[in-house]
Amino acid sequence: MHERSLVQNLLRQVEQIVAAEGGGQVAEICVQAGDLSGVEPLLFQMAFADMAPAVFSSSCQLALEVVPVTAVCSQCDHRFEIVDFQFRCPVCQAGSVQVLQGDEVKLISVTINSKHSIEGVAS
Amino acid sequence: MNQRTIIVQRDVLADQKADAAVERKRLGRRGTLVINLLSSPGAGKTTLLEATARHFAGRRSMAVLVGDLETDRDAQRLAPLVPVAQLTTGGACHLELPLVQRGLKALGDPVVDFLFIENVGNLVCPASHDLGEHLRVVLISTTEGDDKPGKYPKMFRTSQAMVITKLDLLPHVPFSVDTVTEDALRIQPELKVLTNCALDGSGISRWCDFLEQQHQQRLAMYHEPAGNR
Ligand SMILES: Nc1nc2c(ncn2[C@@H]2O[C@H](COP(=O)(O)OP(=O)(O)OP(=O)(O)O)[C@@H](O)[C@H]2O)c(=O)[nH]1
Ligand SMILES: [Mg+2]
Ligand SMILES: [Zn+2]
Repeated sequence: MHERSLVQNLLRQVEQIVAAEGGGQVAEICVQAGDLSGVEPLLFQMAFADMAPAVFSSSCQLALEVVPVTAVCSQCDHRFEIVDFQFRCPVCQAGSVQVLQGDEVKLISVTINSKHSIEGVAS
Repeated sequence: MNQRTIIVQRDVLADQKADAAVERKRLGRRGTLVINLLSSPGAGKTTLLEATARHFAGRRSMAVLVGDLETDRDAQRLAPLVPVAQLTTGGACHLELPLVQRGLKALGDPVVDFLFIENVGNLVCPASHDLGEHLRVVLISTTEGDDKPGKYPKMFRTSQAMVITKLDLLPHVPFSVDTVTEDALRIQPELKVLTNCALDGSGISRWCDFLEQQHQQRLAMYHEPAGNR
C-alpha cells in the first residue's frame, strides 16, 4: 500500500521532469531507498512494474539502490553508519544525532531518449 | 536517437514535506500545537484522547481529527467531549496531509490550543508521512509485547514521545517497562517516555503537563520578537 503511494509520487515527479525537458521516452529511472525509508525493495519493484507502463513505456527500467543509514553526531561531529538502528554516537555516546542519508526515497536521475537531438547540436 | 541523463537528487516525498511544513507553520503561529498520535490497532489512542479531553475541559481548548479505514465509531466516542471530525481512508493504511486538511476545514478550521490527529492503527506506514505535526507520539500497550521498538524502528525513530498504555494489565502479561524503554531509547535516545492507565486515570495529569510544556517549547519559535514583525 505504502510502496504504491511512493511509486505514484515518483512517477508524477518524473512526468514533470520529462515535460520540463521537452518530452521524450523514459529509458531508466534511478532511485535510492534508505534502510530507514520504510520501503521494502521487492514490493517497490513490483509496484513500479505494475504502475509505470501506464505512464511511460513498458521498456522503462527502474534501478533501485538500497543505501545504508548514516548520521552525524551533534556533539562531536563524528560521522558514522547506523548499524542495527543504534542511534547513539559511538565516540561520545551523545543521543543527539542527525540522520544524513537513509531515511528517504530519493529520485536520483532520469534517463530520457528523444528522437531529435536538442538544440540541433549533433546530427 | 539522443539519450541523456538528468540528475535530480530529490526526495520523492519532497512536495508533501513542503506542504506539511507550511501547515505546521500556519497552525504554530496561531498557537495550535499539532500532535500526531500513532500506535498499532487498539493500543488506546481514542481512550487516551477521551481522558485528555476530560482533563483539559474548561481549561484548554482542543479538537480531534481521527483516522480509520471505515466507520465513525471513534468520532462518536469523542463527539460528546470535543469538536471531532472522522477521516475515513477507505482502505488506505495511513493518513496523508490532504485528508487532514479536509477534516480541519470540516471543523471550520478552529483556533485551538491542541489539535490531535489520531492516525490509523498501524506501526509502519504512518511513520513516513508528515501531517504538519509539531509533536509525534507513539503509544504502545502492555499487551503488544516489549520487543516492538526494534521491530518498527522508523516509528520510534521519528517520534518525540512514547506512551506506554494499559499499565493495569502488567501483572497479567509478560511485558517489561524497562525493556521496552531501553529498546526505544536505543533507536531514539531523546524520546520522552510516559505511562498511562485508563482505568484509574493515573498518568493523565503527567501526560497533560507534558503537552502544556511542549506547547510552550515547540511553539516558542513562532513568536517573533516584538518590533521585528
Ligand atoms: N485494561 C485497559 N484497557 C484499556 C486501556 N486503554 C484502552 N483500553 C481498552 O483497549 C481497547 C482499545 O482502545 P482504543 O482507545 O479504542 O484504542 P485505539 O488505539 O483508539 O484503537 P484503533 O483506533 O482501533 O486503532 C478498548 O477496549 C479500551 O477500553 C487501559 O489503560 N487499560
Ligand atoms: Mg481509535
Ligand atoms: Zn559524538
